[in-house]
Amino acid sequence: MTDILFYLLSTLTLVFGVLVVANPFSRNPVTSAMFLVMTIVSMAGLFVLLHAFFLAVIQVMVYAGAVIVLFLFVIMLLDINQEEKRRFQFFGAITGGIGLLSIALVMVKTITTSNVGAGLTPELEGSTRALGTALFTQYVLPFEIMGILLLIAMVGVILLSKKELK
Amino acid sequence: MNISLCILEIAVVLVGVALLLLDLWTKPQRKHLLGYLGAAGLGLVLVGSFFVPVTDVPQTAFGGMFVHDHLALFFKQLFLLATIGVLILSVEFAPRIESGISEFYTLSVFALSGMMFAASANNFVMVFVSLEVVTITFYILTSFMKNRMQSLEAGVKYLILGALSSAFLVYGIALVYGISGSMAFSDIAAKSELTLESNIFKLGILFVLAGLGFKIAAFPYQIWTPDVYQGAPTPATAFLAIGSKATGFVLILRVLYSAVPELALSWEHLFMAMAALTILYGNLCALPQRNLKRLLGYSSIANAGYLMLGIAALSPSGSTAILYYLGGYLFTILTAFTVITLVSRSAGNEDISSLAGLNERSPFLAFALTLSMVSLAGIPPLAGFFGKFLLVRAVIEQASSYSAYYLLAGVAVVGVAISIYYYFGVIRAIYWSKETPDTSPITTSGPIRFTLLAGLVGMLYLGIMPDRVLKIAELAAASLQY
Repeated sequence: MTDILFYLLSTLTLVFGVLVVANPFSRNPVTSAMFLVMTIVSMAGLFVLLHAFFLAVIQVMVYAGAVIVLFLFVIMLLDINQEEKRRFQFFGAITGGIGLLSIALVMVKTITTSNVGAGLTPELEGSTRALGTALFTQYVLPFEIMGILLLIAMVGVILLSKKELK
Repeated sequence: MNISLCILEIAVVLVGVALLLLDLWTKPQRKHLLGYLGAAGLGLVLVGSFFVPVTDVPQTAFGGMFVHDHLALFFKQLFLLATIGVLILSVEFAPRIESGISEFYTLSVFALSGMMFAASANNFVMVFVSLEVVTITFYILTSFMKNRMQSLEAGVKYLILGALSSAFLVYGIALVYGISGSMAFSDIAAKSELTLESNIFKLGILFVLAGLGFKIAAFPYQIWTPDVYQGAPTPATAFLAIGSKATGFVLILRVLYSAVPELALSWEHLFMAMAALTILYGNLCALPQRNLKRLLGYSSIANAGYLMLGIAALSPSGSTAILYYLGGYLFTILTAFTVITLVSRSAGNEDISSLAGLNERSPFLAFALTLSMVSLAGIPPLAGFFGKFLLVRAVIEQASSYSAYYLLAGVAVVGVAISIYYYFGVIRAIYWSKETPDTSPITTSGPIRFTLLAGLVGMLYLGIMPDRVLKIAELAAASLQY
């Protein structure tokens, strides 16, 4: 049962992900944003399969909710109805294709030749309590550094978005 | 838990927060002077760092996340010196940054805290988090002159490629964790029988190296370097050249020798190829450049290649040479970029032709830039020569067991020979230009003269009397296990 769900959700994630960047039926950015929502929701399903319930909820609330709404705001405020047709770049397509193929080749060969093993039992059983304990004991230093990082990001966003700082 | 081990980082973060707050009570016309205050604060931390006790046995804090040893302390002092130089340089650059100069200082100090945490990283989570602190700060610093198209373009290019490299890094870490079940370097090293036969694990480490290779601008992850170096504000470029590169190298050393020592020894071909290609790419592409910052961008790629020689040697002497070379590179790059900032103040651009007549305008600046170019070219008796000598010697030491190392040393020597041509192009522009459009003398402030003097003394000292610093570098490199 879990296996079927895993393959179903992974396929959906991949299909929706492709539709975000290369949709043959529509070039409307709003459609792309909506497919991004679908990608994120399918990924949240994968997290549920891994018993990471908290992560799944955060994924839906923060990414599918807040971030995409922000995307849609920007798209609609700028009033972009149709993405500009770009000239097809032959050289870019070839180099990109070669890069993609070689990475895919390496990955497929790696996975088929190595013994993946039994897999680990998840240390976190998805509850917020376990996550909180891990964050404030084992991972407290990276957690605090993330605080500095958020301060940096805040200062940076204000600086770059404000026209004239006094 | 041993929180006193990261006292230096805490002090640096406090300096950054203090600068951010002091900005509120400073009059706009005096804000640029906050940079001197920041430099003074970091100077105190630097002095304090010499009194931090350090034992030969590495001490750890936060459950092994954070390691304190000679290597960490060496790099922290290097980063502190670099940031002090960059802050003084930023004060000189302040009139060209329209708004938010005190935030420029603050962000530089926060980037320094990220670099210092990276120097002590002993866990892949720390690697990622500290690297993101450095990289995200640099996204902002490179696009700081938001009224200049070039600066914004540099920022966007760095953002997109940096995000891609971070994705590789995270993916690599995930694969490593998936196989080894741990992110701590010591745990991963202890499971070497399990990990050595897993191709997925090797792919993970390869992706981690790709993410770190972006930071040091090694081939084939060098494509962003010239554009970003040219477009970014000059102090940010100087910081990128020394700070970001040294961060990448300390993390590569830690990952290779603390987490996967056995695997690293079997990858000498990869490192040799990377080193050789980086040296050739950087030096050949630098030949036609007319913009000084772009030239130094390609020269920075070439220097990443020379530093990779120390990785390719996979020996204690190779690591020692990397540390020594980075020390010399710090003084050289700071001197060069300080002179470029002063000259481009009047010229408005960084073309090599704007150096014409520099000898008449300010003999001291001409001398300083000449010396830094000579050091970069690797001509005795300056720091650059001795650093390159150590790196090549480390490579040749390995050649007795594997003769392809001779080829690598040969490529390095060819690279140095090519580089002499373009570095001397700069010197020719200083002394032997035919027309000199601008002959007004260049004034220098006291702190700038101090940085230049410190840079010159550093280059000469490391070139002529290497014993003392070499001992420190050897001690620091000995913290790694081989």
